[in-house]
Amino acid sequence: MTTVTALLFTVLAMVVYDLRNYGNTVKRDIETQTDLLASSSSAALSFDDPRAARENLRVLHHRERINAAAIYNARGAVFATYSRGGVARQFPVLPGKEGVYVEGDQLVAFKRVIENNEILGTAYIRADYRFWQRVTDYLTIASLVLIAALLVAALMSLQLQAIITQPILSVAAIAREVVTRNDVSLRAPKTSDDEVGVLTDAFNSMLDEIEARRAEITRLNDELEERILQRTAELEQSNRELESFSYSVSHDLRSPLRAIVGFSEALQEEVPDLPPEAQRLFERIRAATRRMAQRIDGLLNLAHVSRRPLTVQMVDLGSIAGEIIEELRQRDRDRTVTTVVEPELVARGDPKLLRAVLENLLENAWKFTGDTPRPRIEVGTVGADGETVYFVKDNGAGFDMAFADKLFAAFSRLHANDEFPGTGIGLATVQRIVQRHGGRIWAEAVPDEGAAFYFTLGERDGR
Amino acid sequence: MADKLILLVEDDPDDEELTMRALRKADVANEIAVCRDGQEALEFIFCEGEYATRAPVLPIAILLDLKLPKLDGVDLLKRLRGDDRTKHIPVVMLTSSGEQEDMERAYAAGANSYIRKPVDFADFADAVARLAVYWGSLNADLTDRR
Repeated sequence: MTTVTALLFTVLAMVVYDLRNYGNTVKRDIETQTDLLASSSSAALSFDDPRAARENLRVLHHRERINAAAIYNARGAVFATYSRGGVARQFPVLPGKEGVYVEGDQLVAFKRVIENNEILGTAYIRADYRFWQRVTDYLTIASLVLIAALLVAALMSLQLQAIITQPILSVAAIAREVVTRNDVSLRAPKTSDDEVGVLTDAFNSMLDEIEARRAEITRLNDELEERILQRTAELEQSNRELESFSYSVSHDLRSPLRAIVGFSEALQEEVPDLPPEAQRLFERIRAATRRMAQRIDGLLNLAHVSRRPLTVQMVDLGSIAGEIIEELRQRDRDRTVTTVVEPELVARGDPKLLRAVLENLLENAWKFTGDTPRPRIEVGTVGADGETVYFVKDNGAGFDMAFADKLFAAFSRLHANDEFPGTGIGLATVQRIVQRHGGRIWAEAVPDEGAAFYFTLGERDGR
Repeated sequence: MADKLILLVEDDPDDEELTMRALRKADVANEIAVCRDGQEALEFIFCEGEYATRAPVLPIAILLDLKLPKLDGVDLLKRLRGDDRTKHIPVVMLTSSGEQEDMERAYAAGANSYIRKPVDFADFADAVARLAVYWGSLNADLTDRR
């Protein structure tokens, strides 16, 4: 646009200058012509020879511009005339003042014919000025030049685009490709040493940097992964060692226990009529060894549930709970416990392990409602955030929530053994099973009002 | 009763004595031979090695501890089941293990019965006695009917 404006002003200035020039030149030309005519006509006027004057005038037909000419005598009467193409024309009746005048599109010039300071007459020339034609011509040419200039400019900008824009576009294309293909090994080709070349260099060194960083991250990641694999292997190894340790310890611990019980019984048999105090002491030995055996069994069981592969299927928790409750009733016929099991209570999990969970929780509930006037045990579910939460609730002894975090640790107990006997392994086992199913377990309790154990099995709605 | 031999394979002398006592108390009158490990039991049964000179009588029942030095109880059982002479002898696995795997391994190898040695010895004695009476008092040709 600025180019076009500049060009327009230039052309305009040139046109104005040239037209001024043209006007002056034409006027001067006509003036000279008139002078010449005047001086060449002096003889004809002096000798009053209109023929010679006409001859003189006829010479003007070489000048295309001149339409008409005339010679006036000293009295101001027409002496001789010339008209281009012999066209009849109106001539001024009297000669006008000396000089060149513009009359519309015509130039009119008068010149006195003077010889020896005596006015012999006047020369008159009338010529086409052609000023507006000139203007039109000029404007046409200027427009053509302008159009040509614009065309050239357009061509040049295309050329420039190829030189400047193309490399920038190719850098942009590479940048896009780096993002879409996620390939930082790409580089933009450098085609010149100008600003575009600098841009390309900067872009490429940025890619170098990114590539280096990425390689560093990948290396660190690989290292980390390797370390994790190594740690996992170490952990698995030590886990296996621990399991086989607890397995053989449990076995090896059981046999001396068996010997203690067996031989003390043998001793009892060998010595009939033992005093009652000795009998009581034998009983204490048996009870102690039985407790120890239970703990060893608990440990074995704990190791067992950690190791055994899960066989996951739909499990009818409701009927399992019913069976366990029935067993507890059979074992403890004097007790009346109200039990409520939610109908159609199902879960996805390992049937044997889930049975162990319910056994532990229900045995606990049964045990801890032993001193409760109207014992009640409830098994069911609550829904929370699309997750099924199973619970076993009782109105028994409960516990102080301050110790809730100790509940699930092996061998930790919240009640004295003579109050409520137990091994302290049951809930640890339950937690291990729940965790292996990808679930969580927690408890809520109020002392002397009851306890509720909640667990999830990592299942979501729609699974 | 020499033809109604029962073999007890047990490495723990305490367990051996208690088992023997339980059997005696249950009035099991059969001759009871004791081996300390699987290798010795194998030699005893097939009259090899230091038992090369014993009267070639096959036991009518074997009480076999699962965990044994040298040749393990299950491996011994597999050897017995792989031999035509011994493949029908009733074998009762004795173990202090409650592991499902051990039990499955024992049954897979061809055990006829599996008793966990309980700590409460009276129960164990009862179980052993019942089994010993059951196997031991049966006709020796029971093995052929299996």
